[in-house]
Amino acid sequence: MPIVNLIDASSAPLLLRHLFEGDDPGPIVGTLAQVPELCEPALPFLGAALGPSGVSLRQKEIAILRTSANLGCRFCTDGHTVVAADSGLTLAEVRALRECPTAQEVFEDPDEQAVVVWIDAISTERGWVDPAVTDAALAAVGEAKLVELTMTIGATMMLARFASAFQLPQPDELYERLGGLGIDPMPEPPARPVASDTGTLVTITRRTS
Amino acid sequence: MTTIADAIRDGEIPGRVWFYSNYHCNLACTYCFTESSPKAAKRALPPDQMVRLAKQAAELGYTDFGITGGEPFLMPYIVDVAKELGKLGPTILITNGTVFGPKRFAKALELAGTDVALQISLDAPEPDLNDEMRGPENFAKVADVVPRLVDAGVKVRIATTVEPDRLDQDQHDRLCALHRSWGVSDDDHVVRPVVSRGRASEEGIGTSLEYHQFPGELTISVDGAFWGAFGPGFTNGVGDTDLLLTRTIEPIATPAEALHRVAGGRPDGADAAIGIR
Repeated sequence: MPIVNLIDASSAPLLLRHLFEGDDPGPIVGTLAQVPELCEPALPFLGAALGPSGVSLRQKEIAILRTSANLGCRFCTDGHTVVAADSGLTLAEVRALRECPTAQEVFEDPDEQAVVVWIDAISTERGWVDPAVTDAALAAVGEAKLVELTMTIGATMMLARFASAFQLPQPDELYERLGGLGIDPMPEPPARPVASDTGTLVTITRRTS
Repeated sequence: MTTIADAIRDGEIPGRVWFYSNYHCNLACTYCFTESSPKAAKRALPPDQMVRLAKQAAELGYTDFGITGGEPFLMPYIVDVAKELGKLGPTILITNGTVFGPKRFAKALELAGTDVALQISLDAPEPDLNDEMRGPENFAKVADVVPRLVDAGVKVRIATTVEPDRLDQDQHDRLCALHRSWGVSDDDHVVRPVVSRGRASEEGIGTSLEYHQFPGELTISVDGAFWGAFGPGFTNGVGDTDLLLTRTIEPIATPAEALHRVAGGRPDGADAAIGIR
């Protein structure tokens, strides 16, 4: 159960009605549409960062799925597991990107190995990236594609936290597809203790679906 | 695209800006599209922000203003805000007319001689029918306060909200005779339909309207900027978003430009004749 009301065709703001005229645009758009002036410019950006471009769809899906899994986003990880499989990744590659700490070892292409290590560095570490990792990534894909891939990783990190924050749901059909691939849904991350303003650790109760 | 001032002058968009000063109300009318009641959250726009936004709107070319709610007179500063808006252009301050104890009545008299008109709701010429929709003693309170306001020089309009066929011609004529007897002319009497939004839609009453069937008057609430004064309603406790323009309300140019874009996309021949004034 999402924690904010998802906009649908009947509640779509005037300037966003066109987004809801065809197929359901999904819960990310349904959430962003709460703020039309944010939704309008965000969608073209997300389309550019995540959609077809000079970087191959396969490489983009490696970046999106791995980043989603690294951030523990159930919505994005399960959703892009199916997209990644449809994009030509093998089941072993998909499983590794979802679950394996050293996923690069599953990839045969050294350039893709360098990309996976780069993705892990960007999406799990802080500060500057190890120069050896940077050099390998630059050598693997070149400057322009590394810029684009890194923006894809960043956009995915933004959306992953957004989707987790609002507990966005995936449709039942997606879980049927996952079952067909022999992959279990990502477990819902447990509630995480956070520090209160008095310095005491408290546990935030998650709303369950 | 033309500027906002050009669009207003050319009639592309209306020149009035509405402010929802607050959402709570001493009444809980059966057809209220904001689900206002004594238990409703205040959701108040700060008074200084209303004045500031009105000044920004005037600089953009807006010419008229309105304040509605909720019951605006539950906010102690509302007359002062209305007077400031009245300096910028003709202003309508909507009230149910039932909260005028001695202190509020005295404050309301400060509106005499200003460009602010009080618009007071009255839905039927007799207490029974009127109070059935608006609450006990509503008719008597309105009948008491309107003549006193008019006598004191305050501009008063009467607004009648009705379901189709609820008032027959005889009742309508008697209602008009009543407001004339209070000193309110026919020009200052507006009759509008119950709109099927908010509590009215939950009750299954009112007329369903598409956005282009009522004026796209820029309407500001604490929740954002909306197309028309029917926009910032509530249905089953959830804020309506179908007429939402932007959550940004300041600078007011942001929602004004959004409204102008929507106006440009209306279907040909769109007729915007139904409003809350």
